[in-house]
Amino acid sequence: MKKVVILGGGGGGAILANLLPREEFQVTVVDKSPLHFFQPGNLWIAFKGVKKEKFLRPLRELLKPHVNFVQDEVVEVDLQNRSVKTRNGKQLGYDYVVFATGAELDYDALPGHRKLLETYGDFYSSPENAEKLYKTLLGMNSGRFVIAVADPIYKCPPGPHKGTFLSWELFSKRGLSDKVKVVLAVPVPHAYPSKTIADIIEPELNARGIELHTFFTANEIDLDNKKIISLEGEELSFDVATVIPPHRGPSYSVTPESVKDGNGYIKIDKYTSKVEGFDDAFAIGDCTNAPTSKSGVTAHLQAEVVAARLQGIDAKYSGRTNCPLITDGKGLFIISDYDHPPIPVRFSKFKRLMEDFFVATYWSAIRYPEFWSPVFKAYFEATDEMIRKGEGW
Amino acid sequence: MPEITVDARGMACPGPISALTRAYRNANNGDVIIVMATDPGFEPDVKAWIERTKNELLELKKEGGVITAKIKVVAKK
Repeated sequence: MKKVVILGGGGGGAILANLLPREEFQVTVVDKSPLHFFQPGNLWIAFKGVKKEKFLRPLRELLKPHVNFVQDEVVEVDLQNRSVKTRNGKQLGYDYVVFATGAELDYDALPGHRKLLETYGDFYSSPENAEKLYKTLLGMNSGRFVIAVADPIYKCPPGPHKGTFLSWELFSKRGLSDKVKVVLAVPVPHAYPSKTIADIIEPELNARGIELHTFFTANEIDLDNKKIISLEGEELSFDVATVIPPHRGPSYSVTPESVKDGNGYIKIDKYTSKVEGFDDAFAIGDCTNAPTSKSGVTAHLQAEVVAARLQGIDAKYSGRTNCPLITDGKGLFIISDYDHPPIPVRFSKFKRLMEDFFVATYWSAIRYPEFWSPVFKAYFEATDEMIRKGEGW
Repeated sequence: MPEITVDARGMACPGPISALTRAYRNANNGDVIIVMATDPGFEPDVKAWIERTKNELLELKKEGGVITAKIKVVAKK
């Protein structure tokens, strides 16, 4: 029996734990929280007022009964001695370790950011802050609601855009589309990093009278004068604002420190998820330096690859993305991989239905990944063909 | 002068322009950022970025499917 220690029971860690055959592996998941949170739920909480409990479940229930769950915080990983240390003093040895602890959000990097967060809430940090943002928006009857981005590498690349469309929908439903101006500010040259996708998004922003600022990297928040100042030297005024913060890799100690890159992310082989320099260490999800979107889909696909590789199968991750972008009633998926920039896609109600379906089946997909694997495999193979043929969808 | 290399070859969405903007956040005036990309969209994006941010494009070359941009950071406040 091989001992596998998985650090983090989020979308990547929980799926991986549940995929590994119990006959071959003794699996332990370490997570500081007893609850697993469906992170995209922040959008529904912040902009539709859905209660956070809908998106939280005890991790113990989501993990198969034979998987060990240690509710504790990782403080040190020693890759040379194959040992993990926890806050409460536990020492876990392993045959394989998998980093799946996600990205850390830094609300102290930008002056004024933490105060902004405490004042209005946001839809990135926590379900509690998402509830706070919803309350803030319900109390907003006029003025400017600004969504800005501090660093272009953050989880869920279409997150700010979804926040933009969904907040517009909220104000529109309240009869306030003429009174409240929704503003989106992004660091890149067009609405979305990929111009192909930006060309699809921009008309939708224009049609709703949403104000777009490009080349705007949020750098400082002046809450007294209600403005955001960018790295590029520009200013945006707001009445309510939220800024997606800089993200970092895990802050707990890892020996050797050289496995972390300049932003603290674990350096991996982008295809196999193997940690650079080690045959018995892997990393999946937002905590890695993989040059692809930080998203649940990435974590899921990497979990499948690591599960296969631990069983001796030469599986590889293609970098495939499948980021959902939803507006009021419609949706699309941003599909790319390491060798192909995003294909042209268009909004449709059917794709919105598919996204709603993925959301509805999330708990089942975590608990029973073996049932959903063939379904997702068929979906990804069909859409990979679109990438190879250069087709849109 | 400090050289920052951003290897964005074989990068999926969000892609090399995001990698450049991220490197720019952490760079200082006088630094040189070298970005390598295989996404053809990077060429018009980096030109637009240079024009808008007023940093200096020292070199832009295309070889064997790889676009390499050498940028001098001058415009940070």
